[in-house]
Amino acid sequence: MGKKAFSGLRVLDCTQGVGGPYCTKLLADFGAEVIKVEKPGEGDVARRMGPFLGNDPDPEKSGTFFYLNTNKKSITLNLRSETGVDIFKKLVREADVLAEDFGPGILSEIGLSIEVLKEVNPGLILTSISDFGQTGPYRHYKATNLTLSGLGGTMYTSRPTNEPMDRPVVEGGLQAEYITGLLSFIATVAALISRTRSNKGTQIDISKMESVASTLTMHFGEYSYLGVSKRTNLVAIHGYPNDYYPCKDGWMNITPGIGGAPNIPLLMEIPELQDDPLFAKPGARMAEPEKFDALVLPWLKEQEKWKAAKAAQEITLGFTPVLTPGELPEDEQLKAREFFAKANHPVMGEVTYAGAPAKLSETRWQPGKAPLLGEHNEEIYGGLGYSKEDLVRLREQGLI
Amino acid sequence: MGYKLLDGIRIIDLAMVFAGPMSSKLLALLGAEIIKIESAVRSDVFTRANVYPENDPGEEPWNRGSFFHTINTGKYGVSLNLGSEKGREVLKNLIKISDAVVENFSPRVMDNWGMGYDELKKIKPDLIMVSMSGLGHYGPLKDFYMYVPGMEGMSGLASLTGYPDEPPLLSGHAYGDWVLGTTGAAALLTALYYRQRTGEGQYIDVAGREAVACHIGEVIMDSTLNGRVRTRVGNQHSSAAPHGCYRCKGNDQWVNIAVENDEQWRGFCQAIGGPTWTKDERFRDVLNRWKNREELDKFVETWTAQHDHYEAMKILQKAGVPSGAVLSMKEVHLDPQFVERGFFEIIDHGKGIGKRPIPKSMPAKFSGAEEFSLRRAPRFGQDNEYVFCDLLGMSRDELKALEKENIIGGIPKFPPGRPTRMDLVEKRGAGWRDPDYLSELRKKHGDDIGKG
Repeated sequence: MGKKAFSGLRVLDCTQGVGGPYCTKLLADFGAEVIKVEKPGEGDVARRMGPFLGNDPDPEKSGTFFYLNTNKKSITLNLRSETGVDIFKKLVREADVLAEDFGPGILSEIGLSIEVLKEVNPGLILTSISDFGQTGPYRHYKATNLTLSGLGGTMYTSRPTNEPMDRPVVEGGLQAEYITGLLSFIATVAALISRTRSNKGTQIDISKMESVASTLTMHFGEYSYLGVSKRTNLVAIHGYPNDYYPCKDGWMNITPGIGGAPNIPLLMEIPELQDDPLFAKPGARMAEPEKFDALVLPWLKEQEKWKAAKAAQEITLGFTPVLTPGELPEDEQLKAREFFAKANHPVMGEVTYAGAPAKLSETRWQPGKAPLLGEHNEEIYGGLGYSKEDLVRLREQGLI
Repeated sequence: MGYKLLDGIRIIDLAMVFAGPMSSKLLALLGAEIIKIESAVRSDVFTRANVYPENDPGEEPWNRGSFFHTINTGKYGVSLNLGSEKGREVLKNLIKISDAVVENFSPRVMDNWGMGYDELKKIKPDLIMVSMSGLGHYGPLKDFYMYVPGMEGMSGLASLTGYPDEPPLLSGHAYGDWVLGTTGAAALLTALYYRQRTGEGQYIDVAGREAVACHIGEVIMDSTLNGRVRTRVGNQHSSAAPHGCYRCKGNDQWVNIAVENDEQWRGFCQAIGGPTWTKDERFRDVLNRWKNREELDKFVETWTAQHDHYEAMKILQKAGVPSGAVLSMKEVHLDPQFVERGFFEIIDHGKGIGKRPIPKSMPAKFSGAEEFSLRRAPRFGQDNEYVFCDLLGMSRDELKALEKENIIGGIPKFPPGRPTRMDLVEKRGAGWRDPDYLSELRKKHGDDIGKG
């Protein structure tokens, strides 16, 4: 099995969907014992999100749930009952981290206010993930990945290249969620590092709207220094070209890189144009992009993306192919790096999925399966001293 | 404000442009001491030489670039020429008293300098080193020249972004770099936590393309489970409607609306006053609304077009409908939720630049952790004395000798400071320009913004 970065660390995971579970998935994939606390009977909402294996909407066949819950354990517990909350407190006592995304005020409402949690476990790290944060005028607003992306500022400047300017478009997938999950992971681990020296717990309040905005980096400087926001489009103001263009078998990016553009005519086998300002001078391309397009794009249309990219790379041009998710498993670089992971799941069989976000030489990222709903009830509740008879009784009462 | 969670941790930042500096900025905000290394022959030109205050490069343009200021807040900065053997010796001495090194050179650079992890480990056995690159430090394509469009394009993300009948869309805010840098910070902290318990360091190889691919993990599942390849869907939901970005009253204003179930649909219809089209048979349930989403979107827009985007959001939120104004960069700076929660820190960048709001790159609030005020991004070579003399114990004479040999100090080799091409912004639709930005910012962030 090898060394694990977070071995011995116990995390109670009361998050669901995508963002929160991505945070705790990272903890689990690097070796923490993550106990997912799910609602009896239903479980995590991601269990009802596609894609489903074979398009069968079985809660144990969701690809979304699988991907976001690898290496976790699952227990069921009704937190809207006094007994449920009492049992939960016993779990909190043994935990290092509690991650939750109930929304502002809900923990207190069910009798688990910060004061109560601190009393039960003074060293607890409480990671509270919510759409807008625990405070502020929007804190009770309803949100989704789409609305958070718009409020977080990543959509307004994201406009397709056609004229007149089209409406804003959200980034593909569920980026607001992953951004928040990754930042929540960082916040949680930083608090854990601090705790090894101070023995003090920390409460973390992290907002999805702010997390999205934090990815805007240079857009902020552009506005507060100059009053400008750059649109995603063909006519970039920091260099040209940097977009995706059609080729024979799909799309390519043809960013030349600093000083690289004079090599484009070499690639196109028209070396006599190397000194043409369109290739020799970045400013000339920005001033007359359509001239550059007229020369290069018809040629590009006839090229195969991998072949052209590799030939370009040989002469230091940063050309790259655009790949679809379906092309990733066959990518030679990803294969050589064993990016895709495999795990056996009792219902889904062998599942192949995106693996390590980073390669750590000593404490490697671990593959693993997602848990069935309540799969670890006996193990976890047994560890608290509940007998099999107790569990039957709790199940009948709808508590687990 | 930063939080002193990583107090006492020292990290050497050899990185440039966005990804690497992003990783160390996050760690600076969490209380680590970050020492950014640049040299006069190899300074962080792209970020130092871009977007100057009021478009004025000034006399020292390398100290005025807004990109640099935004992503290097909270760090110390020294000048040190790593192209020389002596410079690398100084760096090695610095690494001996540090906890981690982050770098985002092309995969061959550190090895060529004799500063690969195996070498550095000899002088600092428990060192953590993070290498950030486009495709990773091993594998047949490791030497690919990669920029953000490559990372987003080769990860699958670009193929999913944009409208169905249009090209894949680049993020525009270097999202791929952000994911790479932030994943680097996450991995570094993971290793640091492990080192605290075991005393063991390690080497970390982060490939931007892989880090981004992890952020479309659930989409990739459709390919690996079912052999189905998803593509661009604009702002549509896979099974619910109305779901999109709708035009509002005013110039180029938009609101997002995401109705995902019948309860929200009923709330939506009620909130907009129940016009007759809401009772149309074609929109009676989730399935039918989704099937007829194009017609539905047109009707929805007849309502949104009568309202300001913030107003539309508020009306719909009252009825429990997920909705949100699509905020421009100006609005992000002024929005009450951001401002009230302290998302911006006002940092004084000194003479000729003054105070500017700098966003929190680590937007979490930590209660129980000690807060501290962030330093402004360093001027070129600003902290040479502190780092080389106070930390490394070099004498002032030794420092001067190294300055004479051009190993420390100097002025960065720098292209003439170029203003941003405002003509392209306006005439060619390359972006938006708000001439009143300073007075807008002063409304929310204080009268002294931009003064100093």
